[in-house]
Amino acid sequence: MAGTMANPDHGHALVESEPQNTTVKKKLGIGFWLSAAWLALIVLLAVLAPILPIKDPTETFRASQGGAGAKAGPSADHWFGTDENARDVFARTIHGARVSLTVGFAAVAIGMTIGGSLGMISGFFRGWFDRIFSFIFLVLLSFPALVLAILMTALLDRSLLVITIILGVLAIAPIGRLARAATIQFADREFVMAARAIGAKPWRILVRELLPNVLIPMAALGLLGMAVSIVAEGALAFLGLSVEGGAISWGKLINEGRGTRLLEDQPLIAFAPIVVLFLTVLALNYAGDKVREYFDVRELSI
Amino acid sequence: MIKLIAGRIVLLIGLLLAVTMLTFGAMNLLGDPLFNILGPVAQSTDPRDQPDIEAARADFNLDRSLPVRYGLWLEDVVVNRDFGRSYGSKLEVNDIMKDRLPKSLLLAGMALLMGVVIAIPWGVWAASRANKPVDKLSTVATFGIVALPNFALGVLLYYAFALKLQWFPLKFIDNEGLYMRLKSMFLPALTLALPLAAVYQRLLRTDLITTLQEDFILMARSKGVPKWKVLFGHALRPSMFSFITVFGLNAGALIGGALVVETIFNIPGAGSQIVESIIRDDFPVVLAIIVVITAGFVVLNLLVDVLYSILDPRVRS
Repeated sequence: MAGTMANPDHGHALVESEPQNTTVKKKLGIGFWLSAAWLALIVLLAVLAPILPIKDPTETFRASQGGAGAKAGPSADHWFGTDENARDVFARTIHGARVSLTVGFAAVAIGMTIGGSLGMISGFFRGWFDRIFSFIFLVLLSFPALVLAILMTALLDRSLLVITIILGVLAIAPIGRLARAATIQFADREFVMAARAIGAKPWRILVRELLPNVLIPMAALGLLGMAVSIVAEGALAFLGLSVEGGAISWGKLINEGRGTRLLEDQPLIAFAPIVVLFLTVLALNYAGDKVREYFDVRELSI
Repeated sequence: MIKLIAGRIVLLIGLLLAVTMLTFGAMNLLGDPLFNILGPVAQSTDPRDQPDIEAARADFNLDRSLPVRYGLWLEDVVVNRDFGRSYGSKLEVNDIMKDRLPKSLLLAGMALLMGVVIAIPWGVWAASRANKPVDKLSTVATFGIVALPNFALGVLLYYAFALKLQWFPLKFIDNEGLYMRLKSMFLPALTLALPLAAVYQRLLRTDLITTLQEDFILMARSKGVPKWKVLFGHALRPSMFSFITVFGLNAGALIGGALVVETIFNIPGAGSQIVESIIRDDFPVVLAIIVVITAGFVVLNLLVDVLYSILDPRVRS
């Protein structure tokens, strides 16, 4: 769902299944490894897209030049057929992964770095700093994220960097809130008290004692956040508000293929990116849930 | 309760002021309002165009400084409930909103209603068969639905039910009576409702499974109360808390989703309007819609809190 960035509870809602039997040794399970394998495959394809033996996503195969022509169905030459401009749908879907994955990964990296450190500092030192940032997080979360995103895209130029930063800014609040909650919880534990007792400096406690513990729930949320960012970029691209120029992303491809006539003639133009996007989001959500379950961090995600 | 409502109203006013101030400032500083009103004429140095330019500047208060302009805008909105005129079409923003907003409200209302109507029986059904194969299958289904972004789900539903099966019209039909209006709104609302229902169902199911292990359920069953009556009559109400909480939180997703869905199904609502207006830098229209969205979001959350305290008396104190 697009625009759920403002709502970290949303992904969490699906995790809360019945209490696990604690005597059984926990495993990540086959589903996790399948998800990981799919993600690895997609990342590999996206990275290697320029050197793989696939078609050029911008090359046209017009019938007049001996190609398959526009809106051709699947064939040995064009696995998913061709689009309205006689370009190869398979190649475009693979190349579309580049923008989608870059934005998803980089946005979460921004959210983790800024949101994570702000949240941890807020949770550890408390006081006025905590009050200010808790309020900023609240304001950011009390506004529909997609509306905020399109407002920003309207005011700024729409380069890959700007889109990534916009989605990264939107990831700061949910990740920051989680980091804060986790820090508060761990700060009361014995090992932190022991570190204080031997006279460790606050910054040392923060980095050496708290960070490794807080990173686990953040990693689980990060996987879900990547899915949310990819979907959000897709929604922006779908509305024609994402990266300008020739850049291809899954959302843009779905938008290109959704015209009534086009859906009738060659549904694969829209369906191919839909399926790939669906599997990627599914894999990220599932892997995130499994990581959370594995480390038993359910109670942390407020 | 009064304290809760008063607190939320203060928060709403603060939030609205902050959001409109930021939007107003950013749009005026980063964009060029005069150009958006007049088009290329705005940059003309031809003396014959100067009267037009001066008239437009005076008409839209562009000859004042930015804080004064914001003050005038705020005064108009608060005192006269007048959101000004569109830069593009020069129509009254109030008229545009009167035309667009009801369609979006119908969409959102139908989506929420359908989400609840699907989720409650589904959740009760899954909880009464917890951990059996059908329940596991329905869990897989919820995962699938949530992983399908609304723009993808919308295109798939459009393809299957409007284009191939032709059960529903291809676009929104406003002028052929209520039945046609609801029918043409069905697929867009379903696009928003399915992911909502999936989330609601999971929460309801989890809470219900916990409730069904309580003694008063065993008591009711041993008294001979039929199973369906226990599920809906005894167990449902105390199992609704997480569901109600998320009900409000999801409003943000619903508003974001409406932008996309209105675009797919050609609904001339507020969502498609804000996208058009943002592309054309039509600031007065954008501001008006932002105000409505923010207010709606906060009010909906307040309603949820009130509902929450009605359902669970412990929250009231």
